[in-house]
Amino acid sequence: MRSTLSELRQSLSRNKSMSISLIVTMTVSLLLAALGLLILAQSDRTEKYLGDRLQLQVNLCTKNSPSANCIGGFATKAQQAAVEEALRGNSQVESFEERTPAEQYEAARVKFGQSETGRKQLETFSPASFPSSYFVTLVDPQKYDSVESELNGMDGVGSVISLKETLGPLFTALDKLRDGALAISGLLVVAAILQVSNTIRMTAYARRREIGIMRLVGASSWHIQLPFVLESLLAALISAALAAAGLMAFMRFVVYGYLRQTLDTFTTWVAYGDAVQVIGYTTVLAVLLAMLPTLLLTRKYLDV
Amino acid sequence: MIRFDKVTKTYPGQKRAALDAVDLEIEKGEFVFLVGASGSGKSTFLRLILREARPTSGRVYVAGKEINKLSSWKVPKLRRQVGTVFQDFRLLPNKTVTENVAFALEVIGRPRADIKKLVPETLEMVGLEGKGHRMPDELSGGEQQRVAVARAFVNRPMILIADEPTGNLDPATSVGIMKLLDRINRTDTTVIMATHDSSIVDQMRKRVIELEGGLIVRDEARGIYGYQN
Repeated sequence: MRSTLSELRQSLSRNKSMSISLIVTMTVSLLLAALGLLILAQSDRTEKYLGDRLQLQVNLCTKNSPSANCIGGFATKAQQAAVEEALRGNSQVESFEERTPAEQYEAARVKFGQSETGRKQLETFSPASFPSSYFVTLVDPQKYDSVESELNGMDGVGSVISLKETLGPLFTALDKLRDGALAISGLLVVAAILQVSNTIRMTAYARRREIGIMRLVGASSWHIQLPFVLESLLAALISAALAAAGLMAFMRFVVYGYLRQTLDTFTTWVAYGDAVQVIGYTTVLAVLLAMLPTLLLTRKYLDV
Repeated sequence: MIRFDKVTKTYPGQKRAALDAVDLEIEKGEFVFLVGASGSGKSTFLRLILREARPTSGRVYVAGKEINKLSSWKVPKLRRQVGTVFQDFRLLPNKTVTENVAFALEVIGRPRADIKKLVPETLEMVGLEGKGHRMPDELSGGEQQRVAVARAFVNRPMILIADEPTGNLDPATSVGIMKLLDRINRTDTTVIMATHDSSIVDQMRKRVIELEGGLIVRDEARGIYGYQN
């Protein structure tokens, strides 16, 4: 072990610039992968929050609904049944799901709880402030007009909101950002793999004398490979740690510092817990990225 | 100790066999000279013993094991029983004499206490006591070859292979190295030495195996060089 560690130390100082460039490439690639995964987590969260898809939200009347359909105050059981009947009968409706005022209040509590002003607003609400709603999934999300116009005219319906229309552009943008981040990350992953293999080739060349002697005197293959494996593992872990730090900075300054404060009414934004999960994935990715080429190439170049 | 059973080795892309149906047995504790022109198959013979190459057909036995059947993870174990010395010494230039010899034990995971005991013992045996702290480039050719012999022998292998160990040395220094190899041979270590040095072979009067075009053309118990350049 002592000799392995001294080999590792020598090799790291010999390959300083290669190691640094490998770590930089891997860090950026992991950071982009992490952002992609974070946006993915955000989409999941939004879908969970808004229902299966960003489609129609049909709000029934509450006591104070301004709509002409709500002259009688709260929607009656009969009106609610009629709305459900209409939804069931419309061929454009794939499925729908009811959210009670209590569930709506709970969702709002989570959403407004993200910022200080939100928490203050929340004090003025109670479950009674929220209507019963239907979250409707359409057969074709683009064709919401017919359903919207049919329901808008019904008694007891306070409002019909096309979530697609209001939030669609934001989430389309997020989806594109995610795809972009993952694509660039993919390219950088390829670059990182090539750099790992270059580093191994150069190190194997620089150490050919030692390696030749090690083979000759009967050092085990594992013993010969170990300094290479440790070097790659070290680079992977440093990159993973830097990427994790970058992601945490993003969470702190962008998500908590901006999105949760200013765009808190759209949705609930990802939390530190999601980021920690993403860091778990990128760390595993980093180790695989470094270990797979190392194990394959040391076999090839060291002829062990 | 070593047995070749109809061993043929043809390298890829070559028509002529480097070794051609060689049958041979070398007993434990023997001292064998391997002579012949360049390209006669001496190096291939040595590479087969170390399992650096595998025979195209036939079987090679070392220490009772058929080594072409050895799985690759067992090859290091075989090589720990075979010490090797080369014409060009192959020392690590950035390590001292002691570190060069200790390296051979460190990389096979021998305990530190063993290394502390064996390295000075071996350096003394090869006549390098007091020079352990020197760097290889501070030593003469003969001394460097002694370091290489110490490294090959420090693990007390059963077989010592020497590929032209005196090829880079002057005659007087060569005699010193031969005395050293003879001394190692007296510890019951089998020594196989490939050489072009006729005076050494003629002086030592040990078993001589002559190769020509991959065939054994002569195998004498107390032979002389006999081969003309």
